[in-house]
Amino acid sequence: METAELKKQLKKQIVEFLNLTSVNPDDIKDDEPLFGEGLGLDSIDSIELIVLLFREYGINIQDPKEGRKVLVDINTMVDYIEKNRTK
Amino acid sequence: MLYIHRTACISPQQSFGEVDIERLNESVENKLHAVEPKYEGIPPGLLRRMGKAVRIGVGAALPLIKQSHMPDGIIIGTANGGMEDCIKFLNQIIEYEEGMLTPGNFVQSTPNAIASQVSLMTANKNYNITHVHRGLAFENAIIDALMHVRENPSHSYLLGAVDEISAYNYNIDYLDGWYKRESVSNKTLYTTNSPASLAGEGAAMFLVSGKPENAIAKLSAMHTIHTGDEDLVREQLKNFVANNLTGNQQIDLFITGENGDNRLQKYYDACEDIVSTDTTIARFKHMSGEFPTASALALWIACWLVQHQQLPSHMIKKSSNQNQTEQILIYNNYKGTQHSFMLVSKI
Repeated sequence: METAELKKQLKKQIVEFLNLTSVNPDDIKDDEPLFGEGLGLDSIDSIELIVLLFREYGINIQDPKEGRKVLVDINTMVDYIEKNRTK
Repeated sequence: MLYIHRTACISPQQSFGEVDIERLNESVENKLHAVEPKYEGIPPGLLRRMGKAVRIGVGAALPLIKQSHMPDGIIIGTANGGMEDCIKFLNQIIEYEEGMLTPGNFVQSTPNAIASQVSLMTANKNYNITHVHRGLAFENAIIDALMHVRENPSHSYLLGAVDEISAYNYNIDYLDGWYKRESVSNKTLYTTNSPASLAGEGAAMFLVSGKPENAIAKLSAMHTIHTGDEDLVREQLKNFVANNLTGNQQIDLFITGENGDNRLQKYYDACEDIVSTDTTIARFKHMSGEFPTASALALWIACWLVQHQQLPSHMIKKSSNQNQTEQILIYNNYKGTQHSFMLVSKI
């Protein structure tokens, strides 16, 4: 899958998994912070995102430090998925 | 005796904000879904994780708490709580073979999520409890509030009830024969002459205390009974009225939970027997649909009626010459086994 296509798919999955009903997936910028400013996600969302990576891409993040580096924005997530996906 | 100071209700009718219960919203596919407001008091981050039961419960409760001082307790009745989210979570356990599960559905799906979310959002560390006695969940919450108020009349409590239509509950109750098989509109619910009713949902909240100052209504008495015997229900209702009305008082309005299920009609007929010809008889299940805590909506309607003295024409089953509505008797039953009586008075 092309990187651009993967980004589009991931944005849709984030909106769906986190029930971000007021967010249009296409409006999420690739370098927009997921937590704090930007999308404004919180700690429970980080667990939901880790589950998303496991279910959709077969990636099991167990180290919280690693999670902090991955769950920064769409660019970092897609980069990690492309390198580590098992499905 | 409970004095009711403020009320709020999210129901299938326009009962929240600008109340207009004269206009009847119609059912869709045998269901009466709650008309949800914009929930301006709930942060978007919390709102998106809430299932409908939590949303409507918290949405109805918050305005009452914000308009007053911190209540001394939060007492909620719900038969099922957030069943939709609960089933989502259970399905995930099966689908992902007890592997990695998301916490949101689990956290929000327990019946006490409603009372606890209200508590967390208002930083209320007082008494907090949820009663889950099926069709008498709200009545048991009332009993709890009555006991508290008896001990501490000056304390105030948030008392309420919530239930939602979930796909799971609807399907189970449909298969069990509690929802109509044929397509029926709530506008013709009482003329169907067939078993079962329409599905409904809603949340009604009340700020109550033992002090009459600034109260809008008084819940003078409440009684519950488990039975399938309509003669026993009639006898107990007769005693309930006799024990709680003084000589010169009479029932001005009798609100029943008649729900278009011809198997349950015998209970409503039996109870209508005991009221005089001077009593207006009204129904409300065409507004709310049937659900385990629908009696809370009946109490909300009774409070609204004693305040505004305007009985919507679509509620009337039998009119009378009564000009004033001061004493309201409510009778409800759930699935023909759980019955409750309430006596509501104008202050």
